[in-house]
Amino acid sequence: MIYLDHGATSWPKPEAVRRSVLRALETCGNPGRGGYGLSMEGARTVFDARRAAARLFHCTEDQVAFTTSCTHGLNMAIRTLVLPGDRVVVSGFEHNAVTRTLHALKANLHAAGRKLFSWEDTLEHFEDELRKEPKAAVFTHVSNVFGYVLPVGDMAYLCRKYRVPFILDAAQSAGHMPLDFEDLGADFIAMPGHKGLLGPMGTGLLLCGRMPEPVFFGGTGSQSIQQEMPDFLPDRAEAGTVNVPGIAGLRAGMELVEQMQVKRIGERETELSHTAGKALEDMGIRVFRGPHQGGTISFLPPDGDCETMAEKLGCRGICVRAGVHCAPLAHESAGTLETGTVRVSFGYDSGCRDVRMLCNALREICRVK
Amino acid sequence: MRVCFITFRSITYAQRAQELLRRSGMGTSLGRTPGSLEQKGCGYSLRVPFTASQRAISLLRQNNVPYGRLYCQNENGELEAIT
Repeated sequence: MIYLDHGATSWPKPEAVRRSVLRALETCGNPGRGGYGLSMEGARTVFDARRAAARLFHCTEDQVAFTTSCTHGLNMAIRTLVLPGDRVVVSGFEHNAVTRTLHALKANLHAAGRKLFSWEDTLEHFEDELRKEPKAAVFTHVSNVFGYVLPVGDMAYLCRKYRVPFILDAAQSAGHMPLDFEDLGADFIAMPGHKGLLGPMGTGLLLCGRMPEPVFFGGTGSQSIQQEMPDFLPDRAEAGTVNVPGIAGLRAGMELVEQMQVKRIGERETELSHTAGKALEDMGIRVFRGPHQGGTISFLPPDGDCETMAEKLGCRGICVRAGVHCAPLAHESAGTLETGTVRVSFGYDSGCRDVRMLCNALREICRVK
Repeated sequence: MRVCFITFRSITYAQRAQELLRRSGMGTSLGRTPGSLEQKGCGYSLRVPFTASQRAISLLRQNNVPYGRLYCQNENGELEAIT
C-alpha cells in the first residue's frame, strides 16, 4: 500500500507509539485522581507528554492542554476570544474547524488574502483587515488542501503590532515544520496529535498563551469543592479524564519527531511534493504548485472527476483524498469549489518509491481513459 | 526527621516543581495533600526535608512555579504554615 494521506492522519503509526499506548493501558490509573501507584503512574505519563510538547514547541508544561482533536482546541480558543457579532479576520485558506466555529458564533468573518502561494497578497490583505480593529485573528499555518505555507511569522508580528489577539491552526504544520510558541507570541496554537506528531487519533494539543474559556465542564481532580472551573492551567481546559493511552502514544510520537528533527522531516516532504508535482505536470495534469508549498499538493484529473480518480488510485493501493477536504473557503480562493481536488500529502516515512508508484498509476489511469 | 509539605493547586504544578527540584539535586516525594492542609478539596503536594524547604521555596519562586503554601512539622510533630 502507498499511503499518501498524511494530511488526514499519519500512517502507519511507529512501533514506539503502539508500545506506549499498550504500556499505558496496562500500567496507568486515572491521573490526578489518587495518590496510589497506578494513578501516580498515569500522572507521570501525562506529565512526560507535556514535557515533550513543551520542549518541541518552546512553552511551559502547564501551557500544554490535551484535547481530543485540533478542532476541539480551536473551539476552545475561538470561544475564548470571540463573542457573537465580533469582527474576526481569517486567512483565505481556513478549514471548517475554524470557519464553522466562527459561523456558529455568528462572528463577522473577513477572509484576507485569497491568492494561492502569494505571501505578498496574504500579508497585504491581512494587514488591511487588522487596521479595521478586529476582535481576533485566526489563521492556518499550512493549507490542508494546497500545502500553501502561510507567512505566519510575519502575520504574528502584524497581530502584535496592531494588538490583535490571534490563534494559529497548526493542523498541517505541527511535526512537519518548526513551530515556536514563545517566538510567535500566539494567544493559542491548536494542533492534532495524530497527524505530524504521529500519535493516535483522538489526541490533540492546545498551547495556551492566556487562560481559555472551557467548552467542557466537570471534574479536574483539583479544587473539588469549588463549583467554578479552576482558574489555572492546564486544569481549566481539561475537564474529565484525559485520554491517557492516547497521550502516552502522542508522547512517543513527539519524541520521535524530535529525534528525526522536524526541520528535516518537512524538507523531505517538501522535496517529495515538488518532485511529484512536477512529474504530474509533465503528464499534462493540472497541479496546484507554487512557492511556499509544503509536503502537500492538490491536482485536478483531466476529466475533472476527483472522486473517481481517487477511487481508481485506491484500487491500485494508493491512498489519497478527493473532494473539498472540509475547506470550502480555500477552494473558493483557488477557484476549485465546484470540482474539489485530489490531494496527495506526504509524511514522515514517505519516499521516492511512493512518488514513482503514484506516477505509474496515474499514467496507467490516464492512458486507459 | 522533620518534614515539610509544599502544596499545589494543580498536579501539573507539583510535577513541574518536582522536576525543577530534581534537576537541582533535591529529592522530593509527590503525593496527595493531607486533608487537614487542603481547604478547597483535592490537591497534591511535595514532601521535602525540613532542612531543604527554604531552598526549595526560593527555587520555585525564582522559576515562577506557582505553589500554595509551605507547611512544616514543628518540634511536636504538628504541621504549621510557614508561608
